[in-house]
Amino acid sequence: MSASIETQSLTKVYGNVVALDDFSHTFERSRIHALMGKNGSGKSTLVKMLSGVTRPTKGSMALDGQAVSFRSPQDAFNANIVTVHQELSLVPELSVTENIFLGRLPRSRVLGVSSIDWGKAHRQTEELFARMGLTLNPKATISSLSVGQQQTVEIAKAMSFDPTLLLLDEPTSALATKEVEMLFGLLRTLKDQGVTMMYISHRMSELSEIADTVTVLRDGQHVGSIEMAASSLGTVVDMMFGDVARATRPTRTTAIPVENPILQVRGLTHEPHFRDVSFDVRRGEVLGLAGMLGAGRTEVMRSIFGADRLDAGEIVLDGKAIASPSPQSMVQLGLGYTPENRKEVGLVQEHSIHNNLSMASLFRLAPRGLISKAAEAPGVAKQIDQLHIKVDSPALPVSSLSGGNQQKVVIGNWLNTDPKVMFFDEPSRGVDVNAKQQIFQIIWEQAASGLSSIFVSTELEEMLEVCDRILVMKEGQLLGELDPAETTLAELYTACMEGL
Amino acid sequence: MALNLFRRYPMEIILVLMYLYLSFAAPGFATLDNQMNVLRNITMQGIIAFGMTMVIVSGEIDLSVGSGVAFSGCVTAWVTGALSDAIGPWAAITIGALCAMTILFFVGVFTGKLRRHFNMPTFITTLGLLTVLSGAANLITGGFPITSFPFQFNFLGAGILFGIPFPVYIFAAVFGFVYFLMNYTSFGRALYAVGGNLEAARLSGIDVWKTKTLALGITGVFTAMAGVLIASQILSGSASAARGWELDVISAVIIGGTSLFGGKGTVRGTLIGVLFLGIIVNGMTLLNVSEYWQLVVRGLLIIGAVLLNHALDDTAKKH
Repeated sequence: MSASIETQSLTKVYGNVVALDDFSHTFERSRIHALMGKNGSGKSTLVKMLSGVTRPTKGSMALDGQAVSFRSPQDAFNANIVTVHQELSLVPELSVTENIFLGRLPRSRVLGVSSIDWGKAHRQTEELFARMGLTLNPKATISSLSVGQQQTVEIAKAMSFDPTLLLLDEPTSALATKEVEMLFGLLRTLKDQGVTMMYISHRMSELSEIADTVTVLRDGQHVGSIEMAASSLGTVVDMMFGDVARATRPTRTTAIPVENPILQVRGLTHEPHFRDVSFDVRRGEVLGLAGMLGAGRTEVMRSIFGADRLDAGEIVLDGKAIASPSPQSMVQLGLGYTPENRKEVGLVQEHSIHNNLSMASLFRLAPRGLISKAAEAPGVAKQIDQLHIKVDSPALPVSSLSGGNQQKVVIGNWLNTDPKVMFFDEPSRGVDVNAKQQIFQIIWEQAASGLSSIFVSTELEEMLEVCDRILVMKEGQLLGELDPAETTLAELYTACMEGL
Repeated sequence: MALNLFRRYPMEIILVLMYLYLSFAAPGFATLDNQMNVLRNITMQGIIAFGMTMVIVSGEIDLSVGSGVAFSGCVTAWVTGALSDAIGPWAAITIGALCAMTILFFVGVFTGKLRRHFNMPTFITTLGLLTVLSGAANLITGGFPITSFPFQFNFLGAGILFGIPFPVYIFAAVFGFVYFLMNYTSFGRALYAVGGNLEAARLSGIDVWKTKTLALGITGVFTAMAGVLIASQILSGSASAARGWELDVISAVIIGGTSLFGGKGTVRGTLIGVLFLGIIVNGMTLLNVSEYWQLVVRGLLIIGAVLLNHALDDTAKKH
């Protein structure tokens, strides 16, 4: 049986940040409710409270008029609220049945010994699939299925708990178009059976297809909720962004020359990530690569840098044609790359700040292979000083720093190589507002002193704020160029979603 | 104060305390002769342990060193036997030793290449090589020790120079060499980076595979050196020499505080680990502890040392 969910003045405060402010709304039963908003708008916070992961600071929730209060995810689960997370939580080596009934497989006694009743387990899975209109072999191992099929197994698993409310957190982010259609078919079937669903997605185009209502959050505020049938995507975009004040980029004292670019790429292809990508990076400019998740921005940079392979294409760096790039050769030619996931691949966490700041410049510091702390010290001190990295001692492990300072160490590591071109991949991810501004400041200062760079951020307003020029990518293709000075956030967003 | 000192130099302090205890409790422990005896006994495993430190810091392992020692002793003895008549024993020994070092260097390179191109864990490759090299050593000797060396060759492994066993000089030289590599070269820095975070190192333009492969190759050379030393000590090439050494060597590295996960460890720590094991074995023998009990105690010590290191790491994090 499905339920409506009602929130009353729901508020969540983290430290001095109000993540969700006074949210009151009723989500009607047996409908699909989309939840929209930029990163940090409060939608994850709302979902976390509904699923019992965090507790509201203030306010209340009611299921079908019954007040509920969740102390743990288990409480929400017991109230039949089931969440399907963005990351799959399946065990790849086990069968579909085992995954769905993990930890609660039906048992029977054989010769007095409790053992798993496989026949019954597979039958239950088949019944579940039949109800959902699915045709999957319950005995298949998860790893043999496509990502889309795995996602449906995940939802089937959620359905096996008979949820009254199903929370779906970006279920389509890893799916191909065909798989998305399959998933939507499943969601409609479930809706017809009376399941209430709450759906988070960044894919605007999906809204009109699947959502009955759209609830928009911005900076923790409830902007409004509308019936999808009676409104357009444009309305939703406007609600999401509103009027944003734009931070000012320092004005350029010298014009950026169009001719004689520092980096030229032509016809870059790496299937299935991107194809036929051509562009120039001009001397001293900050070039933005905009696009949604999976548009191929990171992949293009990684391939130019030589971290991933290229199927085809030409790269010319500072007049030099590069046949087969590798990180080693590109570093020495003056290209730097700060990766998007600094925790995992940008730093050696347990090593010292000192070592992390000279990791990429070893080849310069030690031309004959010999190195000493003394030889590295000036570069280390210079970056700590110029990037305002807050450290007690460079000998401390880099893991002791805050996210923003860690990011500065990643950047400093690269600036020590004296690069001609830098690729900044999500340099503002996971850092606080202050550090973010400082990092932009660093990028601008470096640009003013002649460094050319490519800047990538999922936060589109940052793209407008930081870049001199923006290239828009969608599904592995370069669509065209935008002038940030003459583009609104909503326009850029639409360009990334729907194309130019 | 005392606690802080302990936190910084835990194994050193335990080593000193143990040394003091044995000096009083174990008859004959503190004599010069016995001290030299301890030193001589640890040199060969120690030389390999220094190389192994680089391999483990780079995030890999080499389980084949025990057989590697036997194999290189046999190769050296065989070459000496085959060439002595033609070019004289000393040239023959030299060529034999160089052959052994070259072969084991390339065996290490081979392990590295398999790791790179087929993503073959070095644990598996070197486990296989442990058997392969042992078999090869037996093929060379036909099952009987080769006694082709002139008795003067005994000096290398058992001689005394200026009152100190000769192999100790080689031990010290290898320690100095590895210490230099790990602390004053970009190769050394790369070892730590590669073991600490392979992808971060790769994205920083470090040749991660060359680094790992070189560490494995150098350890092969050290293993061969130890093989030549032991052949000299027993004046023969024996396929059954050094059986089980791989575990002693890895134990010494781990007792010295090197993390099996890579990225963390020092060759100075390994020196302490080597001394620690050497003194324990010697002390227990002098105290008339049975060999079986010695095995039990040594095993427990390894577990204890790692537990201690973990505990100290945890308290260090809280501070």
